[in-house]
Amino acid sequence: MTRGEVARLSLVVFIFVVVQETVMLDIRIGGVHPDIMVLLPIVAGIIGGPARGATFGFATGLVSDLFLPTPFGLSALVGCLLGFGVGLATIALDRTAWWLAPLAALGGSALYEVTYGALGSILGQPQMLHVALVRIVVVVSVTNAVLAIPALRLVSWGMADASTEGMPTSDAGVGAAR
Amino acid sequence: MPRRSRRPRTTLLLLVLAAVTIITLDARGGFHVVTSGVRSVASDAFSPVRSGVNAVVEPIGSFLAGSIHYGAVREQNQKLQAEIDQLKMQSAESADQAEALRQLSALLHLGYLNNLQSVPAEVTDFGTSDFAATIDINVGRSDGVQLSMPVVGNGGLVGQVVKVSHHTATVRLITDGQSAVGTRYGPPPGSLAVVNGTGPDKPLSADLVPSNTPLTNGEVFVTSGLQGALFPQGIPVARVVSSHTGDTASQESVSLVPESDLNHLRYVSVVLWGPTG
Repeated sequence: MTRGEVARLSLVVFIFVVVQETVMLDIRIGGVHPDIMVLLPIVAGIIGGPARGATFGFATGLVSDLFLPTPFGLSALVGCLLGFGVGLATIALDRTAWWLAPLAALGGSALYEVTYGALGSILGQPQMLHVALVRIVVVVSVTNAVLAIPALRLVSWGMADASTEGMPTSDAGVGAAR
Repeated sequence: MPRRSRRPRTTLLLLVLAAVTIITLDARGGFHVVTSGVRSVASDAFSPVRSGVNAVVEPIGSFLAGSIHYGAVREQNQKLQAEIDQLKMQSAESADQAEALRQLSALLHLGYLNNLQSVPAEVTDFGTSDFAATIDINVGRSDGVQLSMPVVGNGGLVGQVVKVSHHTATVRLITDGQSAVGTRYGPPPGSLAVVNGTGPDKPLSADLVPSNTPLTNGEVFVTSGLQGALFPQGIPVARVVSSHTGDTASQESVSLVPESDLNHLRYVSVVLWGPTG
C-alpha cells in the first residue's frame, strides 16, 4: 500500500465518519438511523478482494467503535468478516456489473446487522438481540443499497494504486465504479 | 485447476484473532481504561467537526426543503401557505418552549435528590447505535461528570453515565437491556427487587418479586441505595403497569414504565455521586 493510497483512504474514511456522525444520526426512519460505515468493507471487498476487504473492514470497524457504546472491537470483528465474505463472494463475478455494488450492499448490510447483534449477544450483551432487528436490517440495507455506487466510486479512488486479487486495478476500480 | 492462495484466509484469521483479543481485553477491566480513553479523545477531537458540519448542513437542508415546498404551489397558495406555516411554527415554538421550560423548572425541584449536588445537561442526541438505548448530553469531565454517575430527569431515574469525554457524556437509559437497577417497593422499609431494561420502547421488568406479592398498578419502585449500590437511595425508577403470577412461577411477573418520559427528554441532571464502599 503506497503513502498516497493510505492518505486517500484515510480521507475517504474521514468523510464517511463525518457524514455518519452528522447527517445520518439526524435521520431516523422508524426510530432507526442509517449506518453508512457498513458500506466501507463491502465496497472494499468488491474492489480489492477478500484480503483487502477484510483488512479495510477491520480498520474502519475500529474507527466506528470509537463512536459507539457497544463493545470495543465488535465492529472491527464483523467488518473484517464482512469484507472477506463480500470479496470472496464477488471474486468470480463480473465486477463491472452496475448492479453488483447495490446488491452486495443490500445483502451484506443485512448480514452485518444480524451478525453484529448475534455476536454482541454472545459476547455478553444479550440486549443486542432484543432490539427492533428487522427494522434495523431493512433501514440499513436499503439506504446502503441506494448509496452503494457513490461509496464504490469514493473507495475506488482511494484504492486506485492497489492491485486487486484476481483482476487488475484498472478493471476493478473503473469497472466497478461504472 | 489453479492453486488457491492461502493469504486471504491467513489475513482473515489474524484479523479475527486481533479483534477477539481487543474485545476480550476491553471486557476484562485493565484495557478498558485505554479504550475508554481513546474513545474520549476521539469524541473530544470530533466534537468541533460535528458542530461545524451541523452548522453548515442544517441551513442547507432547511433551504432545500423550503425551495421545494414553495416551488410547488401557486402565488396565492404560497402566501396562504406561508401564513399557515408561520402560525404553525409559532404554535410549535410555543409548545416547544413551554415543554423546555417545564422540563427545566422540574429539574430545579427534584426533591428526591435531597442534598446531593447535580449538574444540569441538555440532551444532544438520542443514541449513536441502533443496538443500545443511550443518549448523549452536553456535559463532561470538565463539569465534574464521571463514569457511572446517575442521571435523573423530570420524574425520576433516567440512567447512568457509561462514557465520558471532556465536554460530553453518553448515558445508558434504564430501558437498555444492559441496565439493572436495585430498587425497593412496598411499605417501609420496603422489599428489594431488581428492575431490568428490556430494550428501547419496551416496558421494564422486575426480578426478585416473590409470587403473590400484592402490587397495585401505579406503585412506584425507588432506588434501594444499599451498600455498594450504583444509585443513591430514594430516586423514583418506575411505576407498575401490570403484575401477575403464573401457575408454577416462584416470582411475580411485573411490568413497569419509567417514571421519567424517556422519549421526550431534553434536559436532565447528572447527580455528582459515586457508589459507596
